[in-house]
Amino acid sequence: MPSTFNTCERERLFLNPSDKKFGIPELQKLVKPHIDSFNSLLEPPTKGILNYAVIDIDPVEIFDVKVPYNSTAQGNKLKVWIEEVLISRPLLSEHVRAKKRRIYPAECRERFTTYAGKMNIKLCWKINDANTNFETKYVGMAPIMVKSNRCNLQNLFPKQLIENHEESEEMGGYFIVNGIEKVIRLLLVQRRNYVMAIIRPSLASRGASYTEYGVSIRCARQDQTTMTNIIHYLKNGNCMLRFSWKKQEYMIPVILIMKALIEINDKGIFEQLVQGEFSNTFLTDRVELMLQEFKSFGIQSKEQCVSFLGEKFRIIFSISPSYSHKQAGEHILKKVILVHLKHNRDKFNLLIFMIRKLYSLVAGECSPDNSDSPQNQEILLGGHLYGMLIKEKLGDCLNSIRAVVAADIANNRPVDFNDKKYITNLFNRSNMEIGRKLAYFLATGNLASNSGLDLMQTSGYTIVAEKLNFYRYISHFRCVHRGSFFTQMKTTTVRKLLPESWAGFICPVHTPDGAPCGLLNHLSHTCRIITTKPNVEMVPSILAEMGIINRLATGHAQSIVNKLRLLKFEDEISIDLEIGYIPPSNGGQYPGIYLFSEQARMMRPVKYLANNEVDMIGTFEQVYMNIACLEEDVIKDVTTHIEIKPTNMLSILANLTPFSDYNQSPRNMYQCQMAKQTMGTPSTAIMHRTDNKLYRLQTGQTPIVRPLLHNTLGLDGFPNGTNAIVAVISYTGYDMEDAMIINKSAHERGFKYGTIYKSEIVSLDEFYDSGIKHHFGLGADAPPSLREKLDNDGLPFIGTRLKMGDPLCAYIDDTQGGKTIVKQYKGSEDAYVDKVRLLGDDSGVYEVQKVQIMLRIPRPPVIGDKFSSRHGQKGILSRLWPQVDMPFTESGMQPDIIINPHAFPSRMTIGMFVESMAGKCGAMFGVAQDSTPFRFNEEFTAIDYFGEQLVRAGYNYHGNEPMYSGTTGEEFQADIYIGVVYYQRLRHMVSDKWQVRSTGPVHNLTMQPIGGRKRSGGIRFGEMERDSLLAHGMSFCLQDRLMNCSDFSQCHICRKCGSIFTSLSLKTHYQLNTNRAYKKHHIQCNICETSRWISLVKIPYAFRYLATELASMGVKIILKTKDDD
Amino acid sequence: MDTYTGTIKPELKIQELTAEKVKFILTNVGLSMANALRRIMLSEIATIAIDMVEFELNTSVLADEFIAHRLGLIPLDSTEAEKIKYSRECNCNGACKECSVELNMHVKCTEEDITKDVTSRDLVSSDPRFTPIQEGPKDPGILIAKLRKGQEIKVKCIAKKGVAKEHAKWSPCAAVAFEYDPFNKLRHTKYWIEEDEQREWPASRNAADDFAPGDGEAFDFNARPNRFYFEVETIGSMKPEDIVMNAFKKLLEKISSIQMGMSTNDGMSGRDQPRDSY
Repeated sequence: MPSTFNTCERERLFLNPSDKKFGIPELQKLVKPHIDSFNSLLEPPTKGILNYAVIDIDPVEIFDVKVPYNSTAQGNKLKVWIEEVLISRPLLSEHVRAKKRRIYPAECRERFTTYAGKMNIKLCWKINDANTNFETKYVGMAPIMVKSNRCNLQNLFPKQLIENHEESEEMGGYFIVNGIEKVIRLLLVQRRNYVMAIIRPSLASRGASYTEYGVSIRCARQDQTTMTNIIHYLKNGNCMLRFSWKKQEYMIPVILIMKALIEINDKGIFEQLVQGEFSNTFLTDRVELMLQEFKSFGIQSKEQCVSFLGEKFRIIFSISPSYSHKQAGEHILKKVILVHLKHNRDKFNLLIFMIRKLYSLVAGECSPDNSDSPQNQEILLGGHLYGMLIKEKLGDCLNSIRAVVAADIANNRPVDFNDKKYITNLFNRSNMEIGRKLAYFLATGNLASNSGLDLMQTSGYTIVAEKLNFYRYISHFRCVHRGSFFTQMKTTTVRKLLPESWAGFICPVHTPDGAPCGLLNHLSHTCRIITTKPNVEMVPSILAEMGIINRLATGHAQSIVNKLRLLKFEDEISIDLEIGYIPPSNGGQYPGIYLFSEQARMMRPVKYLANNEVDMIGTFEQVYMNIACLEEDVIKDVTTHIEIKPTNMLSILANLTPFSDYNQSPRNMYQCQMAKQTMGTPSTAIMHRTDNKLYRLQTGQTPIVRPLLHNTLGLDGFPNGTNAIVAVISYTGYDMEDAMIINKSAHERGFKYGTIYKSEIVSLDEFYDSGIKHHFGLGADAPPSLREKLDNDGLPFIGTRLKMGDPLCAYIDDTQGGKTIVKQYKGSEDAYVDKVRLLGDDSGVYEVQKVQIMLRIPRPPVIGDKFSSRHGQKGILSRLWPQVDMPFTESGMQPDIIINPHAFPSRMTIGMFVESMAGKCGAMFGVAQDSTPFRFNEEFTAIDYFGEQLVRAGYNYHGNEPMYSGTTGEEFQADIYIGVVYYQRLRHMVSDKWQVRSTGPVHNLTMQPIGGRKRSGGIRFGEMERDSLLAHGMSFCLQDRLMNCSDFSQCHICRKCGSIFTSLSLKTHYQLNTNRAYKKHHIQCNICETSRWISLVKIPYAFRYLATELASMGVKIILKTKDDD
Repeated sequence: MDTYTGTIKPELKIQELTAEKVKFILTNVGLSMANALRRIMLSEIATIAIDMVEFELNTSVLADEFIAHRLGLIPLDSTEAEKIKYSRECNCNGACKECSVELNMHVKCTEEDITKDVTSRDLVSSDPRFTPIQEGPKDPGILIAKLRKGQEIKVKCIAKKGVAKEHAKWSPCAAVAFEYDPFNKLRHTKYWIEEDEQREWPASRNAADDFAPGDGEAFDFNARPNRFYFEVETIGSMKPEDIVMNAFKKLLEKISSIQMGMSTNDGMSGRDQPRDSY
């Protein structure tokens, strides 16, 4: 068997990085949706989405006098609009003298700045009807996505990437904001331009006569912004159209809109809606009623209707006074009604379709569409969302100009549009800085928007791309979220795994358990997202050729769909066209042929049986298609497609679980979670990383047992664990309850040795203008002991070992007369200084005021650290067992790890057993074993495949071996299952978690010990703990825990009045008490005016606090006391 | 409890002896004796290994503590480890010639576009008896780190004597194979058999040297293991036969120390002596 580890190939790639191609091109494809969606904002041929956005932003008309909106005399008119948006690559500003002007992402990461390019707009204006002027206006620095078409790393290959301090296979797809890598999350949203029938109780809450029936359509403009229109069904059969504008909802009778769209009479509308179904009285009755009811408006013609709309809505839309009502009405129809369509005729036809679908839903002829099914969903891409935000902020820019003029008029300042100076001044005074708003959005994930962008949430749009290990990092780019709105939902329906979703688009395995379960999913590794509009120009003419003019006879649909599909393989129609065909059914989905050609859809490759070529299918069409998984599943004349590989349904991480088809399914989910918490190899450019915390496994290995995808994605560059000899045996008792024993000698040889890198930033003066007052360095007053750890520049030596309280760095404070001020290292663990970075300011002129110190904390495995295999089998290290005492095999082999056999029966992770066998023979023959799931079947079993290999290597067929006790040398009665399993070290370590306290800080209100590890607090001794002590009858222990060791206090009580507040300490009454002369302080109840009933009692301080709080509300607590005798 | 085998002398038959390993059969000793030998070989043979590393300069990509760990694991020639004292038994404080060996290493990469390997050959020992092991002049040595142009490592290492009980770096052997009763005549174990023993359980490597049970041979419940198959593999710091011989010596030492202890404390009164050693 030849070796299949590709070690030499990998070495070659590392030593000689190519400057022409990527070593692992598959890796680049994984982040494509992010990069392509960003690129589409500014893609050259069409000038990109932002160009469409700019066209769609309404010009602002400003008048130099205050005018009522319908008056004719308006003064001078200034019309301002934007014609173009330009974003440049990240460059140094012109004020800085430098040889190379390009800024690269690595610099931003290391300097904690934002990777942004200059954003300019072409601002045009016109006074009255004079000539158009324009000005290029700077609107701030727009954060740039790494490796996008505005990034300086675009089109660079490994060699140049390494020269620019990046990973050799850097993928990009994220933004860098203040040195932190941020990814815009992929969000699942309603499928665009598709009419969805919905039955939702919340629809009925809009008004008295509203019902729960409705149809909804999310219309997308060319610039990817959307507007949702919903038609409500009213109890009497009428229909109302709803839209939102600036987060406010508005309702309009549908007939009004229909009549405003085109010139049509009632008969025309009736005929269009009924479409010949005169016998359908349910339909005809309602249409009649709807038309009847509209009569009450008393308007008929198109012009009347449009003007009516304009008059009612012009204030809300803040339409320019120069517009007539009719113009205003037309503007509104364009802005909010079915915005994806250009022509009013199309809008009218779509309204007809929507109403017909709605009536059919109400009549029970069709079922509602499931909004939780991916059939009706698409993905909101990061780039598109970013574009939407830019569009909105640009619109705000124009409005801010208007606001400035309005303020001038209100304050009686001179307003003169003909004065050039005034105009320039006007633009400078308006708030046109949008770069900072974009950076804020990326940094916080909060959407500060006054329109809401037709989205359901205002926060949680971005996440940090943590480089904990490479698996976690890559998963960030593949995860899709359902939206934070749904996390609050009490029902679990949104979280359900639907058959149509997991068949290839969304991984059924890779979702966390707990709160985000089912809402945070991951794309399967072959799933693509369409980012550019495919070429479908020919489709209408092709359909017309097929004879489809208006309606289609039912029998023809299937053959038309088949013909269209075949055309996808020719050049005329793009392969990315989705041909959804819902056949007529009895009460099923509303039938029809639906073609989808827009962006943001999920598509995946399958093989088309008719021509054996790779077809792309989408989520909508898949539901009604017959796709076989394996050859034997093909049913003749039914099956049209076949899966390329059965594993295509799995995400990257789920695919990497070896033999996951042998495991109980939740275990595979746990593994996906744990792979992301593993201490592995975060990066190959660690020296250029400044992450707050980095975990690194020093002794990573390539797994012997791995699926093919491991090589395809080049994961050998980022090892995530080590191959360990694992014996499954109950030995010594230290392996009880998921604990595991590690061989002490293996530990001493560096097994699972890890390191943590921690970043500390010391910043002196943030504001340079007021003069620099602090300087890094050691002054004359610095004691010699300081110089052992720090150099003259006040910075630590590289490699210095720091203990708690040691100096981290020092600076001279001019404000305190040149005193040396020392910053201490505050961590409790010993750390080494790994790197010191001097961070200059943007201009590079001022003295250094900021340093970043990278500390290295060694973390050898200690008892209590967490480890896991790749099968959701986690365990805690319980003992480092001496090598001589470990059990051994006949060949003298001793396990690195011992785990207890009880970990298996209930969890059923047979995959781990198979991996153990596969690893063992892989190690013997020096081959990488393919562990792709579904490789084996009942006829060709994994056990036989690896069993034969084991026997050839001289081992037992089933992976067992006779073993001997290390202490006595006696052979065990049972043979032991021993083999090679890839183990991960998880990032949860006792060093970060231990908590201990004897006495310590207390809460100053209750005097009870405070909580929290960081504040050296205690661990809560709660109600249940109390119950168990009571149950054991341990009253003294209970009192000790809850009283003496907690908020023990003493106070005086008056036994007569029962109050703890009335006792006062008095000196004046000293003489009265002649027989008790030794009493210096005399305590007396202020109400009973005697000291006779005063006693000292022990009470919890919290009780006193309670009594005080009650007293403050006028509630008195009276305590009844009993003599203690 | 082993049966008394006083009349039959223990016997050691060497089957194979190479530079890396020795294979032998030990007969006519009890299980406890054989296992004691195994355990001593694994954990109590004194060798020399680097124990302290002082970094003067390290501009390589690897962390100091990581290089120090790697240095510690490099096998040093320990054939004459006997001649050196344990540090804890030496009168000096810290390290001296009597109880330690100093090794120095100074490597710098000065060439462009070349990755320079830092290997165990770069370690210069102050004592020719204790040097990093090397298999002939062509042996490239054990890789410690790799350097690019301008990177430099300068360290001073102190090697000390120790045993594997303390740290695995002092272990002279990689593994000790140990087996008795390849045919399971003693029935100490039960072979799990699914269908066919012949197919599932290949014969042990030592089966050829053992005596297969005759057909229908009765189970001798009095039998004790007395034939042990060893294979000792060295990591290079010692010859394999030396490991075995040293193990015997160590075993003898242990027994004689008990003997000594018995004779210095006058018999029964020993238990009344104050136990100040704890």
